[in-house]
Parts: sequence; C-alpha cells; structure tokens
Amino acid sequence: MPQKPQITFKIFLFLIFIDLLETFNQFCFKKTALANSSFDIKTFQDIIHFATGVLASPFLWLALVAVLLIFIIWSTILSKIDLSVAVVVNSFSFITIPLVSVVFLHERVSLLRWLGIAIILMGVVLASLNSRPKEHQP
Amino acid sequence: MKSPLALMIFWIFLSDVCDTVSQLVLKSCINSLGWNIDSVKKALQLAFELAKIPVAWVGFIFSIFSLLIWLFVLRHSDLNLAFCVDSMRYILIALASMAVLKEKISFMRWAGIFSVVCGITLVVLG
Repeated sequence: MPQKPQITFKIFLFLIFIDLLETFNQFCFKKTALANSSFDIKTFQDIIHFATGVLASPFLWLALVAVLLIFIIWSTILSKIDLSVAVVVNSFSFITIPLVSVVFLHERVSLLRWLGIAIILMGVVLASLNSRPKEHQP
Repeated sequence: MKSPLALMIFWIFLSDVCDTVSQLVLKSCINSLGWNIDSVKKALQLAFELAKIPVAWVGFIFSIFSLLIWLFVLRHSDLNLAFCVDSMRYILIALASMAVLKEKISFMRWAGIFSVVCGITLVVLG
C-alpha cells in the first residue's frame, strides 16, 4: 500500500475549518436545546412535543448542514492523510468549544477544567499516535 | 435549570453508547462497500450508497437517538462541560472496536484512553 502524502497547508486549513464547523455545530445544538421551553419528559406525549419542538428550530437544521459538510470534508481528507494526523489537528475543537461557551453562552470554565481539557487533548493525541498499522509504515 | 451532575453524566453516557452502536454499524457497512473515497463527489455518493443498505438505517436511527439525548443534555447542562464529558466516546468506541471489530489497541492508545479518563475527571471536578 502506498504511503499517504504529508499534510499540506491546504489540508491543514480544511481541518481547522472542520474544527470551526464542529464548534458552530455544537453552538447550534445548544441554541436548539435552549429554544424549547418544555424539555421535561415524563410521558410519550412529552417525547412527541420534544421532537416536534426540536425539528421546528432553525438552529437544528443549520447544525445538520454543518454535520453533512463535516462528513464530506472529513471523508475526503482521510483519503489524503493518515487518521492519526487528522485526529490531532481536529482536536482544536476541545479549545474552541469552551471558548465559544465562555464568550457567546456566558458559561464559566474554571482553571481546573482547562487543565482537564489539556489532559483530554493529550490523551487524544496519544491515542492517535499509533493508529497506523505497522505493516503500512515505511 | 441545572440537573444533578451524576444524572447528566449518565445521559451523556447513554448518548455515547447510541453513537458507538451507530459508528460500529456504519463502519461495518462502509467496510463491506470497500470504497476508497478520494473526492468530495465520492463522499457524497457514499452517503447515498449507505442509505440504500437496510442495516445502515439502524446506524442512522441510533444517531438520531444519540442526537435527541444530546439535545436533552444540553438543555440541562453547560456546553463546555457536556462536550468534555462527551469525550468518553473515545473510550467506548475503542473498547467496542476491540470487542466487535477485533481491532487491536496498542499500549500507547491505552495510555491515551487513561489520559482521557483523567481529563474527564478533572473537568467534572472543575
């Protein structure tokens, strides 16, 4: 199997774009969740009410367009570079999403939580380091 | 309108379990197609091809369950907390890939998984 080419600047920009799309996506999901007044589910009718309320939110449809875009760009990028590299660059959303939460949703992120985020990021990088099977390495 | 943290973690776990089932089903379907996606056009074609496979719909339905639970979680919890705890999906998917798809997990990956667990714990404590 031929070795996949190294990451180019163009691919790097696309991966950053996916991070931004992912952030936008989660922001829209949060807005969808906030837009519905009744989310206390106790009966089957509540589930129907919940589902119709969710479907009526424009933020949900924006988020789903973002999901489709992410799927298309991600699948195409994976044919050009290794998953291990893609996953690492794609982990920036662990930083951008808390940042957006603080700036636009007025949430609070403590220092301990930022430390936790850094350790999760390290874990994602570690887990992806060895994702390529040995026989494919040069 | 915040809910008890343990309950939220349970719902996030449930959302991730649904997502893991969906990922496993879709991965099996994509494997069975044996495609090499090298263009945007092919990626779109893959989505249409997947929609023709009945089993793939089990994956899509679990994705919808996962999304509905996720929206429920976001209603009751901060986005930054939910998103970080949601990284337990990395652990679930790795374990499921090992058990179901018979993929091997290297020592480095176990170290990464351990690190993710520690990170989630700190995020929850913070």
